Amino acid sequence: MQMTGDETAPQKALVEFREIGKTYPNGTVALRNVSFQVIEGDILAVCGENGAGKSTLMKILAGIEQPTQGTIHYEGRQRRIADPNVAGDMGIGMVHQHFSLIRSLSVAENLALGQEPRRGLLIDRRAAADRVRELAQKFSLDVDPNTKVGSLSVAAQQKVEILKALSRNTRLLILDEPSAVLTPQETQELFVQLRSLRARGVTIIFISHKLHEVRALANRITVIRSGEVVEDGVLSEMSDAAISKLVMGVDVTRASRNQRDLSAATPVVVVKKATVATGDADRRIDAIDLTIRAGEILGIAGVDGSGQEGVVDLLCGNVQPDEGDIALLGKPMALATTLDWRRAGMAHLPGDRFQIGGAPHMSLVDNVMAGSHRDKQFTRGPFLRVGAMVARTNELIKTFNVRCLGPREPLNSLSGGNAQKLVAAREFSSNPKFLIVNQPTRGIDVAAAAMIHGELLRLSQNGTAILLVTSDLDELLQLSDRVAVMFDGRIAVVLENDGLTPERLGPFMLGLEKTS
Amino acid sequence: MIRAAFASTAITAGFCLFVLLVVLVPVALLYPEPGEVLSRFLLGPFEKTRYMGNIVELATPSMLTALAVVLMFRCGAFNLGVEGSFFLGGLTTAAMVLWMPLPPLVGIPLALLAGAIVGSVVCGIPGIVKATTGASELVSSLMLNYAAVFIGLFVLNYYLRDPTAAMLSSDRFPAEYRFESLIPRTRIHIGSIVAVVACIIGAIYLNRTSQGLEVRISGTGNDFSRHLGLNSVALNIRIQVIGGMIAAFAGGIEMLGLYSRFTWQNTTGNGWTGVIVAIIARDNPILIIPAALFIGYLQVGGDLVSRAFGVPTEIVSLIQALVMICVTSVAIFQHPALRKFVQGDRGGAAQ
Repeated sequence: MQMTGDETAPQKALVEFREIGKTYPNGTVALRNVSFQVIEGDILAVCGENGAGKSTLMKILAGIEQPTQGTIHYEGRQRRIADPNVAGDMGIGMVHQHFSLIRSLSVAENLALGQEPRRGLLIDRRAAADRVRELAQKFSLDVDPNTKVGSLSVAAQQKVEILKALSRNTRLLILDEPSAVLTPQETQELFVQLRSLRARGVTIIFISHKLHEVRALANRITVIRSGEVVEDGVLSEMSDAAISKLVMGVDVTRASRNQRDLSAATPVVVVKKATVATGDADRRIDAIDLTIRAGEILGIAGVDGSGQEGVVDLLCGNVQPDEGDIALLGKPMALATTLDWRRAGMAHLPGDRFQIGGAPHMSLVDNVMAGSHRDKQFTRGPFLRVGAMVARTNELIKTFNVRCLGPREPLNSLSGGNAQKLVAAREFSSNPKFLIVNQPTRGIDVAAAAMIHGELLRLSQNGTAILLVTSDLDELLQLSDRVAVMFDGRIAVVLENDGLTPERLGPFMLGLEKTS
Repeated sequence: MIRAAFASTAITAGFCLFVLLVVLVPVALLYPEPGEVLSRFLLGPFEKTRYMGNIVELATPSMLTALAVVLMFRCGAFNLGVEGSFFLGGLTTAAMVLWMPLPPLVGIPLALLAGAIVGSVVCGIPGIVKATTGASELVSSLMLNYAAVFIGLFVLNYYLRDPTAAMLSSDRFPAEYRFESLIPRTRIHIGSIVAVVACIIGAIYLNRTSQGLEVRISGTGNDFSRHLGLNSVALNIRIQVIGGMIAAFAGGIEMLGLYSRFTWQNTTGNGWTGVIVAIIARDNPILIIPAALFIGYLQVGGDLVSRAFGVPTEIVSLIQALVMICVTSVAIFQHPALRKFVQGDRGGAAQ
């Protein structure tokens, strides 16, 4: 990194964590004895598995949560950050992974929320808009104050989030996995902006799972594992392997795909000119042609909202096409419901394990057995054989290495990664002929992701046809045999994955190039 | 798990007592003998067999209506048609008893069944309307309660009315149709046993059957059940019809257990009490039993002080309301310090 100027300058700590500990009421220890400094003017990467405590630590710094032990020193003084407002006054702004913007309000209104400029009893809209322009200019983040947030792209919404975080004389900006929702090009642009912020004296902390991003942006790194700081140092002195080992505690072997020729394999799913013209705009699809063969992993790439969700809806029976044909192993499925699809051998792993993939307040047993709760094996007449269900759940918990207190605990007692493993256990264990995975590893840790990737490859080797929808291009290119790039509800191109790169996909994702 | 369940029950009980005292003490102080008022309210209901009988009598219909509400709530249907179902169930059962002179052993079950079927309409129609048009079942079931009452009054006035009676009421039921008292000096009847058994069956249904699992999944929101391919629309309608049947059945039981003729001029409030009980029981069929008894106890206590001292009966409603607020305040029940206090210190053990 270009650190020449700073290395000689005195390193002043902007924030110092002293023996921070956080124990949740249910007894979960999120952080223990966390002590390190954030040097003023740095870009600090905070790395760690999901559930390691990174987000908790950042939330403590942003005043969203309170530590149960320890103190925070800001600019050399001990401070109690009682709530986000206090953090804002101190000059700490945070951009969350899930945006906190109100879609039906304009950019200016969103930024003014909570600190509205007033004229008498009314909100002074012009002043609010002027303030946004001023801020946007100051930080060279280009946004129109009067646009409705809902009509902005994800990348633009993130800019608004960043502006919002910067709107109160912010000196420390915290970003929680900022690139998770962006295309590679958009990520590059974000990084340019973050570097220029730093040049303006803003200290930046960002949380990331992705090592190459950490390399590209940060100069220091703090690694947290199981609630403790295991490394805190200058990034350029550490190798990728060392960091990865620190994050995981062990070496992770990435599952890798064998190059295979699948052109002769049986087509499992055949979609011909399928069109869905109703419903949400970003779920509409237009004359889609797709074939997924037995044992093949077909990846779908695209900027979020390019119609990937529409394809998933179509192939899991959530919607029926207005036009076109679908067949699963030769059986016409154009009118099929989700139950028909499942009976025909479809399984589906969604990215949202608490809304779609599972019921957060129900037990692990209920979550795992849902779907097979009418199988003879688990029922006696109308009654459930609870013993058999618990035994089966325990078996799957073990096979899929789900870390939990027991099968009777509710799903929401698990971390995201473990919950996702549990949902994957349910979906994968049905030996599906056709499997849809939609953002299968979004927001989960590297070890859980590696486990799910391994299972996907194993299933594909056993002949399952897999549709993989993901916005994580590394994952896409690592697993897919072929990649279909979607843009604006259409398939722009289908490419064989023989050494594809994100850069090759980018122009198709942005609609700059198309071949079909 | 068991420890946690015990903790929340203990906290609930503690809060009920606290609320009772917070409301009662100031009210009692308004009267010349505050101690008397308090002890009458709190201990009076246990003084006589008859009063204890009253508690059970009051709890019987609310257990059943609460069970209906719990089933529907757990399935995700916020259907408040129990009040109307209860009314029509009572009316239909009364009409059957009067119009179809069969031997009681056949006639009573038949009358209750007919009541259940006719009364289920009030909960069932909002379910069907929701499924077909998307209209909120909460609103349509509330409205339909009124329709049920007026239809009922029409039938009562034109077909069931005893012209010789001074008030608007049906003919007398033949004596052999009326439930006998099980315990001397009370009016506790077979319906109480039926209600308790029904709650237990409800718990088994929800927790131990395949369909019960589907009900619970549907109740957590439609995305998960849609993901699994469950037909939650059909299930929802079915549960609302079943809920209506249970509430209407309760109306029939109440009619044959406590009345000698049909005299209801309006909805009875047993449905609303059922909603309160369901909320206090936190949608758990087994907890309905103590919750219903508790509400019954409050009602009897309130009655006693109102008769003896002229304390307004609204006090009971006030206590009920406060208990409900407390019981449903998740924030209180998940308060770490409170849980720790009741559960004993096991901080960090979960890790």
